[in-house]
Amino acid sequence: MSPGHYLALSAILFTIGALGVLVRRNAIVVFMCIELMLNATNLAFVSFSRMHGNLDGQIIAFFVMVVAAAEVVVGLAIIMTIFRTRRSSSVDDVNLLKY
Amino acid sequence: MTGQEIVFALLGAVAVGSGIMVVTTRQLVHAALWLVLSFGALAGMYLVLTAEFVAWVQVLIYVGAIVVLLLFGIMLTRAPIGTAPDLDSGNRWIAAAVAVATAALLVTVVVMGFGDAKMPLEAGGGSAEALGSAVFRTWVLPFEVLSVLLLSALVGAIVLSRTDIGGARSRGKGD
Amino acid sequence: MTSHVSAALAPGGDIPAPHIEYGQIMPILLVLGVAVAGVLVEAFVGRTWRYTVQVPLAFLGLAGGFAWTIVLGLRDETHAVAAEGALGVDGPTLFLQGTILILALVSLLLIADRGTGSFAAQAAALPGSEAEQRTTAAGIIQTEVFPLLMFAVGGMLIFPASNDLLTMFVGLEVMSLPLYLLCGLARRRRLLSQEAAVKYFLLGSFSSAFFLYGIALLYGYAGSVKLGDIAAEAGRDAGSETLLLGGIALLALGLLFKLGAVPFHMWKPDVYQGAPTPITALMASCTLVSAFGAMLRVFFVAFENLTWEWRPAMWGVSIITMIAGAVIAITQTDIKRMLAYSSIAHAGFLLTGVIATSREGLSSTLFYLAAYGFTTVGAFAVVTTVRDAGGEAGHLSRWAGLGKRSPLIAGVFAFFLLAFAGIPLTSGFTGKFAVFKAAVEADATPLVVVGVISSAIAAFFYVRVIVVMFFSEPEADGPTVVVSPATAAAVVLGLAATVVLGVLPQPVLDLAGHAATQMFVR
Repeated sequence: MSPGHYLALSAILFTIGALGVLVRRNAIVVFMCIELMLNATNLAFVSFSRMHGNLDGQIIAFFVMVVAAAEVVVGLAIIMTIFRTRRSSSVDDVNLLKY
Repeated sequence: MTGQEIVFALLGAVAVGSGIMVVTTRQLVHAALWLVLSFGALAGMYLVLTAEFVAWVQVLIYVGAIVVLLLFGIMLTRAPIGTAPDLDSGNRWIAAAVAVATAALLVTVVVMGFGDAKMPLEAGGGSAEALGSAVFRTWVLPFEVLSVLLLSALVGAIVLSRTDIGGARSRGKGD
Repeated sequence: MTSHVSAALAPGGDIPAPHIEYGQIMPILLVLGVAVAGVLVEAFVGRTWRYTVQVPLAFLGLAGGFAWTIVLGLRDETHAVAAEGALGVDGPTLFLQGTILILALVSLLLIADRGTGSFAAQAAALPGSEAEQRTTAAGIIQTEVFPLLMFAVGGMLIFPASNDLLTMFVGLEVMSLPLYLLCGLARRRRLLSQEAAVKYFLLGSFSSAFFLYGIALLYGYAGSVKLGDIAAEAGRDAGSETLLLGGIALLALGLLFKLGAVPFHMWKPDVYQGAPTPITALMASCTLVSAFGAMLRVFFVAFENLTWEWRPAMWGVSIITMIAGAVIAITQTDIKRMLAYSSIAHAGFLLTGVIATSREGLSSTLFYLAAYGFTTVGAFAVVTTVRDAGGEAGHLSRWAGLGKRSPLIAGVFAFFLLAFAGIPLTSGFTGKFAVFKAAVEADATPLVVVGVISSAIAAFFYVRVIVVMFFSEPEADGPTVVVSPATAAAVVLGLAATVVLGVLPQPVLDLAGHAATQMFVR
C-alpha cells in the first residue's frame, strides 16, 4: 500500500475544504470547511508518520486537534456576538468594511 | 487487492463524498452531519494506519466535541433548519477553477513524491503509551503552551458571551 | 487495571523527566504566568479592584520579561536550544523578544488608558441596548483585556523563538486567538469592530490551515519538523524536491499572511480600522516584529541552502507589496486604513532585508523592526487623541486644520509621517538605508530601486496629510484633542525612539549587529 494514496486523498480533502471556504457564505459553514482542511492536514501528518516510522506526525495531529478545539470555541464566540448584533451569520453581510 | 486497500478505498470514498456534501448541501444542519461522517471515515483511516490513539482522539474531539459545538452554534444563531437558498456566494466558478488547480497541484506533488513507495503494516506504532512518552519528553513545551491556549480561548469566549457581568449588581442598585 | 499499566511501564518504561532550561526561557514563562495570574485575578478579586490590580500586574510582567531578556543578552553566552530543542535562545531571538516586550509595554500604556475608553464596557451586551448603556454609565470596564493581551504577547515571544515547526504553529495560535477576540472589543462602532474580528478570524484560520499543510509537506520531506533537520535534509539533496518546494510555498503563504504582504494583505486594512486603536497599535508593532522574526528564522535556518528556490518568488512578493501598499495608501480617506496600507508597504521594505539572506540583512531587518515598531505605536497613540463626540475622528477630512487647533499633536503626527516616509534624521531613514544597503550588497539592486520609487510614492501621500493638517482651515465643529497622561507617555516614548534612532542610531545598530553576529542557533 503506497503512502501516495493517503496523501492524494488528503490533498483532495484539503482542496474540497478550501473550495468550501471560498464558495460558502455562512460563517459557520465556512468554519466547517476550515475544519475539513485541518483534518486533511492531519491525515497527511499521520501517513507521513507511518512512512517515516517515527511518531512526530501523530503527535502533531493530536496537537492540531486540540488547537482546532480552541479555535472552534473562539470562532463560535465571535460569530455568535456578531449574530446577536446583526441577526445573521452570512459572511457577505459583513460588508461595512468594504472599500 | 489486499484487505487494507479495500478498506482504504471504502473509507476514502466516504470521506471525499461526505466532504463534497458539506460543501454543496443547502441545509446547514446537514452540512454538520455530513462533517461527522467525513471525520468518522478519517478516524477509520487512522486505524488502518495503526495510529490508534489519534483515531480515538479524533472521535472524541472532532466528532464528539467540535461538531456538537458547531451544531449548538447553528441552533443559537437560529439558522433556518430547512433549505437556505443563499448559502453560496457569487464567485463559485472562479472558486471552482482555483480549487481544481490547487487539487491538481497538490495531487501531482504527492504522487510524484511517492509514486512507488511502499509502507509495511505493523501493529502498535501509535499506542497511547508511545505517544505519551514522546509528548512528555520531546514535546513538553508546546504541550504545556497548548494548555495556555485552551485557557485563553476559554477566557475569551466567556468575555464575548457572558451578558450578566456587572449587570446584576447595577440592577440591584437600580431597584 | 492499575497493575496492568504499571507493569507495562515498569521495566525501564519510566518516562525520563524532560530537561527545561528555566532561566533561558524565563521571559516567556513570566509573561504567560502573569496571564494566568490575571485570569485568577478576574476570578477572585472584586470588580472595583480588578483594574487597579491588573494594570500593575501586566506592567510588572512585561517589564520583568524585558529586564530578564537584557540580562540574558548581557551574559553573552546565549547560543543554546532550550526546552528539549523546542526553543532557540540566541542573539536575534533575544533582540526580537526584547523589542516585542518593550513595544508591548508602550501599547499597554494605551490599552490601560481609561480616559480614552477604547474598549467595550461589556463585550457581550448588544450595541445600543439598555444593558450596554447601564454598564458604560457605571464605569465598568472589561478587565479581561489584560490577561488576553498577556496571552497574545506570550505567543508572540514563542513564535520567533521556536526551533521546530510544531512549536511555531502552537505559538502562532497562542498569539492569534487572543488577538481575534481583542479585535472585537471596541467600545464605539461596535459592529465595525465585530466584523473585523470575524474577518480576521476566518481569514486567519484559513491561512493557518495552509501553514499547517506546509508543515505536513516539510515533515514528509525531512521526517522531522525541527528546522535544523530540514536544513540538513535539504543540504543532502535527498528526498522528493516537489514535497520540499510545496512545503516552502505553503509555509511561506502562512507567514506572509501574518506579515500582511500582498497578495495576502486583504485583512490588514479592515482589521486595523475595526479593532480598538490600542490593539491596532499592538498588532502593527508587536505582531509584525514577531511574524518577521519567525520568517527570518525559517528562511535563514531551514531553507538556508535553498536560496535559489525561494528567492525569485520572494522578490515578486516584495516588489508588489511595496508598490501596492504605497499606491493604495494614496486613495485612503481613513487615517487608520492609511496607516494599515503604510504598514503593508513597510512589510515590503522589510522583506528586502530577508531576501538579502546575509548577516547584514538580518541585523538591518532587526533594526528596522525596532525603529518602525516605535514609530507606528506612536502614530496610533496620536490617532487615539483626536476625538469627536462619537469617539476617534478617523476620517481624514476631520483632521483638516488640526495644526491650528493643536499644533503640538499635529506636529508630532507630521514627524511620525515623515519617519514613515524615510526622511533623514528620523529612524525611518536609518532603517530603510540599512535594509537597502544590505540588499544592494546581496545583488538585489532592482529591489532597492523599486523600494526607493515606492518610498517616493508613499511620501507623496504622507505630505498630503501634513498639508491637510497645517494648510487648511479647521472646521467649526472639528474634533478636539484629548491627551491623557498614559497616552501622552506612549506618544513621547514613540517620539523619543524615532528621534534617537534617527539622530544617534549607532548604539542600536551595533546592538542589532552584535545580535546577528552568530545568526540563529539550530
